[in-house]
Amino acid sequence: MEIATEKDLGSGTEINNNKKKKRKKVKPVGMTWKNIKKHRAQYLMLLPCIIFFIIFSYLPMAGLVLAFKEFRFDTGMFGGAWVGLQYFERFFQDPQSWNFVKNTLIISGMKLILAMPFPIILALLFNEIKSNKIRGFFQSISYLPHFLSWVVVVGIIQSILAPNTGLLNELIKNMGGDGSTFFLMDEKYFHSIMFWSYVWKDIGWSSIIYFAAIAGINPALYEAAAIDGASRLRQIWHITLTGIRPTILILFILSLGNILSAGFDQIYLLKTPGNAEVAEIIDTYVIRTGLQSGQFGYATAVGMMQGVIGLVVVLVVNRFANKKFNTSLW
Amino acid sequence: MYRERRKSWNFFQVFNYTIIILLCLSIILPFLNILALSFNEGTDAQRGGIYFFPREFSIENYIEVFKQSTVLNATAVSVFRTVVGTVVSVFLTAMAAYALQTKTLPGRKVITFFIFFTMLFSGGIVPYYLVLTDLNLTNTIWVYIIPSLYSVWNILIMRTFFQGLPDSVVEAARIDGCGEFQIFLRIILPMSKPVIATIALFNAVAHWNDWFSGSFYVRDPELKPLATLLQEMLTRQQALADALLRNSGAYAALEKITVTGDSLKMATIIIVVAPIILVYPFVQKYFAQGVNIGSVKE
Repeated sequence: MEIATEKDLGSGTEINNNKKKKRKKVKPVGMTWKNIKKHRAQYLMLLPCIIFFIIFSYLPMAGLVLAFKEFRFDTGMFGGAWVGLQYFERFFQDPQSWNFVKNTLIISGMKLILAMPFPIILALLFNEIKSNKIRGFFQSISYLPHFLSWVVVVGIIQSILAPNTGLLNELIKNMGGDGSTFFLMDEKYFHSIMFWSYVWKDIGWSSIIYFAAIAGINPALYEAAAIDGASRLRQIWHITLTGIRPTILILFILSLGNILSAGFDQIYLLKTPGNAEVAEIIDTYVIRTGLQSGQFGYATAVGMMQGVIGLVVVLVVNRFANKKFNTSLW
Repeated sequence: MYRERRKSWNFFQVFNYTIIILLCLSIILPFLNILALSFNEGTDAQRGGIYFFPREFSIENYIEVFKQSTVLNATAVSVFRTVVGTVVSVFLTAMAAYALQTKTLPGRKVITFFIFFTMLFSGGIVPYYLVLTDLNLTNTIWVYIIPSLYSVWNILIMRTFFQGLPDSVVEAARIDGCGEFQIFLRIILPMSKPVIATIALFNAVAHWNDWFSGSFYVRDPELKPLATLLQEMLTRQQALADALLRNSGAYAALEKITVTGDSLKMATIIIVVAPIILVYPFVQKYFAQGVNIGSVKE
């Protein structure tokens, strides 16, 4: 579960931009028995891996039938009577559902769109530091929060935002303010706490990939622009940002798959009785109805909608990006 | 370009360094604050006003936390899953990645897609949980290790790295009559130390930080890892911390109580982050390396 989040940086795939249909003709690998036998060692090496993905990824996918069935403990995942679209109807008829969807879209929208420029800007700033040592030092500090669990980060947030004794309230008191605000219990502050803690945690880490892309830009372009009299800002705009556009696009496409999952760990831990109205998202709702109150069929149905929409969005956007910008995931 | 930079040093660089230093301070200062609070008498901390140094220095919080059998036990669980989980996972991932990079392997594309697709779509948490239950993994220590043996991302990083290794060495070994397993163990693994270090670190951090499995797949308190313990402290806030306090026998000597639920929480946070922060300076180069390997084109 947690390991999967390592991919949140979202560049696991090869970035193959601007290579439209220029794929080399690889000589076809014979699926002959002789050829297969020759590679039996490799198949043996892959066997545990394939079994793993069948059990822990494809079996749960098959388990999606649960979304149309009544779950019974005695017959397990694939038993039970068919109930048709009952769970979906229930979800769409419940006015609360729309609230969760809305919250999810707001939170993921803030993360996908509003938060996106920050790591890019940081990468640009890092790029301006020419000394490798100094830059490396600052970069290492900036990556650090990525390696902390949200549990720790939320623990720190709870302490800093605590009423009266927290660092922030102390500051407010010192400036003559009230100092007893319980930030985490007030839905007014939820979005800013969520947003800035998210930016804070991953800004450094996400900047790595942009930084690498910037480093790959041909320096001759800058020299030429400087001779033409382009200012630093103009160079950044026309050369640097244009140069890393494929990277930005790829990361954006990949992250769009998460449009309906707004980051379970952070939201679940930041959620309090005071801010639940704006903090309950589809992920936390699925966990609450599914794992915590055992409505397996219903929770599967809700989770399935989330997964299917995510997949469709990635496929559609990927196709669009492929046509429009020659940039694609595969 | 460089000449021009010197001219604009004042504005550009000052602005640049200011932002970067502010960011770094925003990362360091909260830790100093938590550290100060964890080394401060809990009762004194309730008055507030502690910033980056303890006011009434005390190691009582740590002593109390470590007196709890639950905390010691949770640390053991965390260490066990981190060590065993990482070692097994890295070995298996490397093996799969090595097989996948063999260009002549029939069906290589299909298998790669089979693995990659799980990144795009999943059955969701409920069927996943039911699979774990059916396998009798829930409520055992193996639920931490077995379901996280492979990750698509790690396989892809390793595969990309192996593809970059020189073919000639492998070919030579093959001609000398080495089997694939021997090539993998004796040649590929020793040549791949950097990527192995990177993947091992990713794995270890993920194991150490994972609170989710402990909270939702395990009921036995003896099997909860440290991260889950901290999560329970945060969610149940006072209740759990107070229970810790009561068990500790601190009430026997009432006049001497200096710890509070909050101060215990601070000490626990520090205990959870300490291994990461202490190891971090020595290994951070491997972390960034992983991202860069992963983003290299095929």
